[in-house]
Amino acid sequence: MLNFKINSDEIDKIGSFSKEEKNFRLKNLDYFNDIGFPNKKNEDWKFSDLKAIVSENFSKLDIQFSKSKKQKVDFIKDFEHNYIVIVNGELTISDFKYEEKSNIILKSFSNDNYSNKKESNPLINLNHALSNKGFFLEVKENYKFKKILVIYYLFTEDLDENILNSKNKIKIGKNSELHLLDYLVNDSKKNFFNNVHEDIILENSAVLKNIYLQNNKSSGYFHKYSRNKLFTGSNYSYFIFPAGLKFNKLDLEFDLEGERSECNLQSASFLDNNEHQEIKTRVNHFVPNCKSHQKVKNVLNAESKGVYQGKIFVKDVAQKTDAYQLSKAILLSERSEFDSKPELEIYADDVRCSHGSTSGNLDKDSIYYLMTRGLSQKESTKLLVNGFLNEIADSIKSNSIRNFIKNKLETQLLNEYKKH
Amino acid sequence: MKNNNLDYTQEYKYGFTTDIENVKAPKGLSEKTIRFISQIKKEPKWMLDWRLKAFNRLKVSKEPNWQKPKYPKIDYQDLYYYSAPKSMSEKPKSLDEVDPKLIETYNKLGIPLNEQKKLSGVAVDAVFDSVSVATTYKEELTKKGIIFCPISEAIQNHPDLVKKYLGSVIPISDHYFATLNSAVFTDGSFVYIPPNTRCPMELSTYFRINASETGQFERTLIIADKGSYVSYLEGCTAPMRDENQLHAANVELIALDDAEIKYSTVQNWYPGDKNGVGGIYNFVTKRGACRGKNSKISWTQVETGSAITWKYPSCILQGDNSVGEFYSIAITNNLQKADTGTKMIHLGKNTKSKIISKGISAGKADNTYRGLVDIGRKALNSRNYTQCDSLLMGNECGAHTVPYIKNKNSSSIIEHEATTSKINDDQLFYCNQRGLNQEEAVSLIVNGFCKEVLQQLPMEFAVEAQKLVGISLEGSVG
Repeated sequence: MLNFKINSDEIDKIGSFSKEEKNFRLKNLDYFNDIGFPNKKNEDWKFSDLKAIVSENFSKLDIQFSKSKKQKVDFIKDFEHNYIVIVNGELTISDFKYEEKSNIILKSFSNDNYSNKKESNPLINLNHALSNKGFFLEVKENYKFKKILVIYYLFTEDLDENILNSKNKIKIGKNSELHLLDYLVNDSKKNFFNNVHEDIILENSAVLKNIYLQNNKSSGYFHKYSRNKLFTGSNYSYFIFPAGLKFNKLDLEFDLEGERSECNLQSASFLDNNEHQEIKTRVNHFVPNCKSHQKVKNVLNAESKGVYQGKIFVKDVAQKTDAYQLSKAILLSERSEFDSKPELEIYADDVRCSHGSTSGNLDKDSIYYLMTRGLSQKESTKLLVNGFLNEIADSIKSNSIRNFIKNKLETQLLNEYKKH
Repeated sequence: MKNNNLDYTQEYKYGFTTDIENVKAPKGLSEKTIRFISQIKKEPKWMLDWRLKAFNRLKVSKEPNWQKPKYPKIDYQDLYYYSAPKSMSEKPKSLDEVDPKLIETYNKLGIPLNEQKKLSGVAVDAVFDSVSVATTYKEELTKKGIIFCPISEAIQNHPDLVKKYLGSVIPISDHYFATLNSAVFTDGSFVYIPPNTRCPMELSTYFRINASETGQFERTLIIADKGSYVSYLEGCTAPMRDENQLHAANVELIALDDAEIKYSTVQNWYPGDKNGVGGIYNFVTKRGACRGKNSKISWTQVETGSAITWKYPSCILQGDNSVGEFYSIAITNNLQKADTGTKMIHLGKNTKSKIISKGISAGKADNTYRGLVDIGRKALNSRNYTQCDSLLMGNECGAHTVPYIKNKNSSSIIEHEATTSKINDDQLFYCNQRGLNQEEAVSLIVNGFCKEVLQQLPMEFAVEAQKLVGISLEGSVG
C-alpha cells in the first residue's frame, strides 16, 4: 500500500457538516493527499520513515468503523479517582463523584476553529480532515480538583487495519489545578492506526500534572500531536511511560506565552522486539523568565529503535530563560538503535540553555560490582535498568499514584525478562 | 549591557585590490568553459572527461536549501570560472620574474614569500586567484620524497596518484557545490607523503581571492601514506568587494595505516561591511578518510570571515582504531552567518572521535553548529565525545545547535553536551577592576572560552588566530 490516498467521499460518510466545516475538511484532505504519510525526506521524520512503516505493515486503512460495542472497563482500584472513559477515541461515560460538577464542563468534541493551514506534519492535516471523535474538558476558574482524574483510553478487540482520528481539548482556567492520568489499555491483537490531536491550554497560574501510561504492549501504531499553551505563572508537568508499541510517535509542542510559566517533561521507556518509538518536542520560549526542563530516558532491547528529537527555541525578547534538555539511552542489544537530535535555537543572550545526550551500554564496573555480591548477570542488568528508569517515576509526588505506576512498570519489565 | 549603540568601527584590514590584467574564461557555466579551463591547464584527456562527467551530473542535481543562512540566488551563468594573472602565462622561473604587483600584494598580507620565509620555515604555495605563483621549499621536500605542488602540476606529473585518489573521498556526485567544484576547479594543492615519513615542516597555502566576479574553486588533495605524518595550514584573506563572491572549494584527505594528518584553517575572508553588503560565500566541502588502521585525521578551524560560512569538515573512520578530531571556533559579527560543524562517521572497530566547537555570535549575526555522529552497526567499542558551546553577545544575534546523533550498537558510547550563555558580568567586572578596558576584557574572556581549540593550532597560526579573535569582536560589546 504505497500510496494511501483518501477519497473526498469519505468525509460525507463521517457525518453531515456545515458548509464551512466541510470546506475545511476537504482542504485539509487535499493537503494530506498531496504528501501522504511522511517519509524520511521530511526533516521531522528523518528517523521515523512512517511511509515505509505503514506500507510494510498495512494492506489497507479503514476510515469507517462501526460503533463499538459496550466495553467492560477494568477500573483502577489502587486509589480513589474521577474518570472519563474513551473507547476507540469516542467519549462514552464519565464520573466526577469527588468534585463540584458545576466547575467542570465535559462534552464531545466539536470543531470551532477552521484555520486552513498546510501543516509541516501531514498527519495533523489528516486529523483535521477526518477526526469525528474526541472530547472537550474545561476546568473553570479557581477550582482545584480534589482527586486525580483518570482518562481510560480503551481500544477494542475488533480493531483491524482501521485508522482512528480523534481530537481532544483540555482547558484549565485561572488558578485551577488538575491532576490527570492518561491510561491506555489496548485489547486489539491486530494492527491499527491511532492519530490523535490534542490541545491543552493553561490559563494564568493554572497547574496541570499529566501522567501518560500505557498499560500493555500492543500492535497499535500511534501518533499524537499535542499543542500546549502556557500562560502567565502556569505550570505543566508531563510524565510519559510508554509500554512500547509497534510505532509510537509523540509530537509535543509547548508554547510558553506568559511570563514565569514552567514546563517539565519526563519520560522513561523500555523498548523491545521491533518496537519503534519517537518523542519529539519543541519548547518555544516566547517571553522572559520561563523555565523548561526535559528528561528523556530510553532502554533499548532486541531490535527496537528509539528516537528523541528535542528543540528549544528562545525568542529574542525571552531573556532570563532557563531551558534544559537531557536524553539518556541504554542500548542492551547489538541490533538496537538510538538516534537523537537535541536542538537549540536561541536569539536571546541572557539565558541558560543547555542540553546533553548520551547513549551507550550499562556500565561494566557496576555489573561487575553486583556480580561480586552474588547476583547473576541477568539480575544485575535488571537491577541497573530498573534504577535507571525508576528515577522518573520517583519524582511523582503522590504516594499511591507513584506506587501504582512503579508496579505497572515493574510488571512490564518482568514480562520482558521472562522472555529473554 | 548597552547594546543599542554598538560601534562597528572595525574596517576590514586586508581590503585592497591589485590591478592585474586577467585572462578570463568565457563567462558562464558551460561545456565550453570546462574545455577552456582544461585546455589552459594542459590537462590530459582523462581529466577533461572527469570534469565533463561532473558537469553532466551537475545538470541534474539541485542546490541544497536546508541550511540556516539563506542567500540570494546565485546566477552561475554570470560568473567567470577561470581567471589568471596575465603575467603568469609564461611561468616565472624565480621570484624575480614574478609580477612585482603580486609580490606587493603578498607583502601587504604579510605572506613570507621572500627570504623571511626560509627563516620562518614555512613552505608557501601561494594561490593568487587560480594559478599557483611559486612553490617554495620544494627541493627540501623532494629530498624526502614528499610531493607538494599545485594540483594542476600533479595531474601532469603524478597522474597515477591523482587518478587513484581524486574524488575517492568526495565523489563527483556528492552534492551540488562539490560537483560544481569537480567540474570547474582551477587549482589547489597536492600533497603526498611517502610511507614512514614525517613531513619536516608545516605545509602552508595562502589563498587569496582577487578578480571581481570570479568564483574560486580550489581543489586540495592530501595523501598520507603508511606511517607518515603531515601538518597542513590554510589561511585566507580577501580584498574588499561589494559583490558576493562564491567560494566552493573541495578538500580531500586520505590517511592510510598509522598515518596522521593535521589540517588547520584560519579563515578571514571579507565578511561584507556592517550593513551586510558584499562578503564571501564560503561553501566548502572538506572531508577526510581514515582508510588505514590506527590512522588519525584532525581538523582545526578558526572561522572569522566570510558573509556566509557553510562547511562541515568531516571524518570517515573506516580503519579499525582510527581517530577523528574536530576543533572549531566560529565567530560571527555584524550580519555574518555561519552554519558549520562536522560529521563523524564511524565504520571501523574501536574508532574514536572528539568534537569541540565554540561558536561566538555578536551584532546581528547567526551562528549554527550542525553535526552528525553516526556509529554504525559494525563499529564496535567506538567512542564519541562532543562539546559545543555558544556565546552570545547582545540580543540581536542567534546561536543554534543542531546535532544529529545515531548509535547503532550497544558497545559504543556517545556523549554530547552543549551550552549557550553570555559573557558573565562578574568576569567582565573583575577584569575592569584590574584595569582592563571593556574590549580587552572581552578579548581575554573570549580567548579563554576558545582556549581548547586555539591550543590545537600550530605555533605559526596560534598567535595570528588569537589576535584575530580579539579583532573580530571589536566594537561588539558596548
